[in-house]
Amino acid sequence: MEKQLTLVNKIEQIPQLAEFVEQICEELGLDVAMNFNLNLVLEEAVTNVIMYAFPQGEEHTFTLKAWTEGNKLVFELRDQGKPFNPIESAPEVDTTLSADEREIGGLGIFLIQKIMDEVSYQYEGQSNILTMVKVI
Amino acid sequence: MTIQITEENGTVTGVLNGRLDTAAVAQFTQDMKPLMEQADKHIVLDCEKLSFISSSGLRLFLSLRKETIAKGGDVTIMNVPPEVKQVFTITGFYSLFQFQ
Repeated sequence: MEKQLTLVNKIEQIPQLAEFVEQICEELGLDVAMNFNLNLVLEEAVTNVIMYAFPQGEEHTFTLKAWTEGNKLVFELRDQGKPFNPIESAPEVDTTLSADEREIGGLGIFLIQKIMDEVSYQYEGQSNILTMVKVI
Repeated sequence: MTIQITEENGTVTGVLNGRLDTAAVAQFTQDMKPLMEQADKHIVLDCEKLSFISSSGLRLFLSLRKETIAKGGDVTIMNVPPEVKQVFTITGFYSLFQFQ
């Protein structure tokens, strides 16, 4: 299995991810819970790119690829925005705090790391490359 | 993504329907304003038809919870689908609300 989606840095593009994940899950026979989790992870990663990778008002495209390697489902998100390592930059999330103390933010990369089995970042050839792997 | 808000005997109920993804958040923020304004009351969110939520949606739930703490109300979430509930659990948001 190998699929690719080209996206523009507009928040209206987000619903396309649901369709992309749906096709993958159908092809690989993955259940509803996995579909939900993969959709969630991709939305968090793609939202970060849309919101922060490029200067405001400029239109850019970036790509999301998915493929399988044995029992692993691999997603690779590649953008040519400003260099940004979401893993290093993620604020610590303390899930034990009360509602008063909880900050509104920082949950995206936290969810990605909790749900996926491997998450890695590299900057190569002027591209941010975020690789997210789920054992299926 | 829609929310239908009704009030009966001092309880304000919001029935959520659809996908609360990042693209839906701006509109939903407007649509849930009546709840924020009535955060001194008992608020019930019926999530039976909430089919998806991401962190931007969770933030709106947290904003509402913070508002009720400030104004003396509370938030109860009911009929949460298991996949949505799991997002509340992973993020520790589960303990911030009452669930039914």
